[in-house]
Amino acid sequence: MKRLMRTAAVAAAVTLALAACGSGGGNPAANVSPTGDIKPRQISWLLSRPADGAVINIMKKIADEYAQTHPGFSLNLITTPDRPSYIQKYETLAAANKLPELFDTDATPFAQQLAKQGKMVDAGKLLKDLGLYDNFRPAALDYQRFDDGSLYMVPMQFELEFFWYNKALFQKAGITVPTSLDDLPAACTALRKAGITPIALDGQDQWPLERYAAYQPFRQAGPDYVTSLKKNQAKFADAPGQKTVNWLSSLGQSKCFSEGFSSQGYSDAQNQFTSGQAAMYNIGTWELSSLATDKLNPAVRNDVDFFTLPTTSGSVTAANEYVSPSGIGMAVNAKTYDPLVADFLKFALTKYPAEYAATGALAPTTNVQTTIPANATPLYKKALDKATDLGTKQIMPWDTQLDPTSNTRLQQELTLLVQGNVSPSEFTSTMDSTIAQNAPKFFK
Amino acid sequence: MLPNRSRLSVLVFLLPPLLLYGVAVLFPILQSLFLSFFSWNGISDMEFVGFANYVHMLSGDGVFWRSFFNALGYLAICLVLQLGGALFVASLLTSLRRGRELVKTLYLLPAVISTVAIAFLFVRIYSIDPVGLLNQVLGWIGLGALERPWLSDVNTVLAAVSAPEGWRFTGLYMLIIYAALLAVPQELEEAARLDGANRWQLFTKIRFPHIRPVWITTTIMATTYGLRGFDIPYLMTNGGPGQSSELLTTYMYKTAFTSTDFGYASTISVFIVVECLVAVGFILLMLKRKADA
Repeated sequence: MKRLMRTAAVAAAVTLALAACGSGGGNPAANVSPTGDIKPRQISWLLSRPADGAVINIMKKIADEYAQTHPGFSLNLITTPDRPSYIQKYETLAAANKLPELFDTDATPFAQQLAKQGKMVDAGKLLKDLGLYDNFRPAALDYQRFDDGSLYMVPMQFELEFFWYNKALFQKAGITVPTSLDDLPAACTALRKAGITPIALDGQDQWPLERYAAYQPFRQAGPDYVTSLKKNQAKFADAPGQKTVNWLSSLGQSKCFSEGFSSQGYSDAQNQFTSGQAAMYNIGTWELSSLATDKLNPAVRNDVDFFTLPTTSGSVTAANEYVSPSGIGMAVNAKTYDPLVADFLKFALTKYPAEYAATGALAPTTNVQTTIPANATPLYKKALDKATDLGTKQIMPWDTQLDPTSNTRLQQELTLLVQGNVSPSEFTSTMDSTIAQNAPKFFK
Repeated sequence: MLPNRSRLSVLVFLLPPLLLYGVAVLFPILQSLFLSFFSWNGISDMEFVGFANYVHMLSGDGVFWRSFFNALGYLAICLVLQLGGALFVASLLTSLRRGRELVKTLYLLPAVISTVAIAFLFVRIYSIDPVGLLNQVLGWIGLGALERPWLSDVNTVLAAVSAPEGWRFTGLYMLIIYAALLAVPQELEEAARLDGANRWQLFTKIRFPHIRPVWITTTIMATTYGLRGFDIPYLMTNGGPGQSSELLTTYMYKTAFTSTDFGYASTISVFIVVECLVAVGFILLMLKRKADA
């Protein structure tokens, strides 16, 4: 027994030592202009983006160009496109203090803790130092900011989220585009009566349903509601919360989402809409190539259109204010930030926007023009043009706002609420107590 | 009794695997035990909280208890399918005169397929939109009323995620039990038949008692595997909808790697270790009592 105790004590000491080794260190986050020689080496970017996507392909090309004038330099791209798996990898590496030179993160409470500990370079100062700050769309930068307005991530894209809909199916059901969020349940009922699935939804990934939870409070109380809710300063029991809970419940009762949506994946939802089985699909401009080019099924190609997030009566936000994310941001590790990383970032971020816009996507900066692909339908340009008409407020997706435990519980309870497995009052009570229990640990 | 030199050789050769076991198994268990007394999210300072994590787990965490009872349900379904199915198929196999190898191979096949492939396969089988195999078959045989989204229905999801795990390992346990059944002395069975024993009596009085040691081993294996079940439920439903298919293992994993609450996750993992030890002790006790009876 004595021996066992001794072994346990040794293990404890080793663990403490390891934990101590894993903290602190690095450059001060405010120093964005490190001095000294540029010594080329391999740097890594831990990222959560599609392996053959535009961001990776462009950065590979830019890194190759940089390597031509800096022999010995290379950019090692380590990608995990599946977001939940990526987050686990990134948080584990952060815990071990092993994050590489560049890494992707949303403006989550976890990332804010990293920033507070001086582990990330101040992106606002960095972009200003490089003379690039003013090129960025304010909305793209705002999406990356923490609640206190600080900016630690560089946006690499810019998207707008719409409700895509099938005009022929709307006509068949005898309905028009909803002018209020409150019209949606009735529209679903009419579509169901006509034998049409109202909304295609990727329930498996959980964030698409969580978007719906953000809509009513944004219209009722503006962007501050979620920042108060996540800190337990607002409740689901409050008026905007109750409005959304009851609305979500009514979406479920009206059978808005496809049967068995909670086990349906991303491609299932996309297929349902693009094959003309579902009437609506809430997704961003990152799917323009599937929805507004000749790749789209000819049977529905001319029937597809979109509408932006409807307002409600008494809405405090305008019709041109909705979800306009700039995607997962790129953070710069303060510990490994040196003249080489600074020089490469200057080179890359100067060249990147034009290359990115040439792929047909909305760039995070305003100094470049998006190239509309040759196979685009008129809808492509119509969608892009919405970027010029955006209001100043935007919906922050709730999955990047809440503490992780409350977020997981919210995603679970939302499915149950929409499926009718829990009542609005049960949902309210569960979520308010979950946030009260977990938020204080993250928002001290 | 081994001569001294041989005993020394055995000890010398046992030492490396023992060290490996200590580093790979015992040390992480001790580390988890240590971490379970702390609150730690991986990047902040570790805060000693004493038994607070245990108190919260046992008295204040509804999801933990839901996951615990789900894990017991998952285990029960897996054991029935794996051990019951294995015993049934192995018994039938002993009566088969031709094609034994083919049947064995077919039953063993799922055990060599990756769990990711199995999870995706069953997601498709259970699907309602597009309609999957199970719902299609129900429609064909006139049981259309039973068609449902098996993985989205809170009443069916636990059984739905348990079945692939049971299906996967039936063949493996079947092979072990079949090998044990082949070792049952034929003369004993023949003597029993001459004494007028029917097939059921032959099984319960001769065959099963003879394979009891193998049965205990397979039961322990299947139980501990079942209690550690993780990948298939995690991939198929991620514990949902709600917490309907959440197991202790998936909950522990999410607590550590999604909630970044490494202290509390360690508390749950300590519980899983204790649970497995208790389960194995319980099985040994129960089967020993039966053998003594």
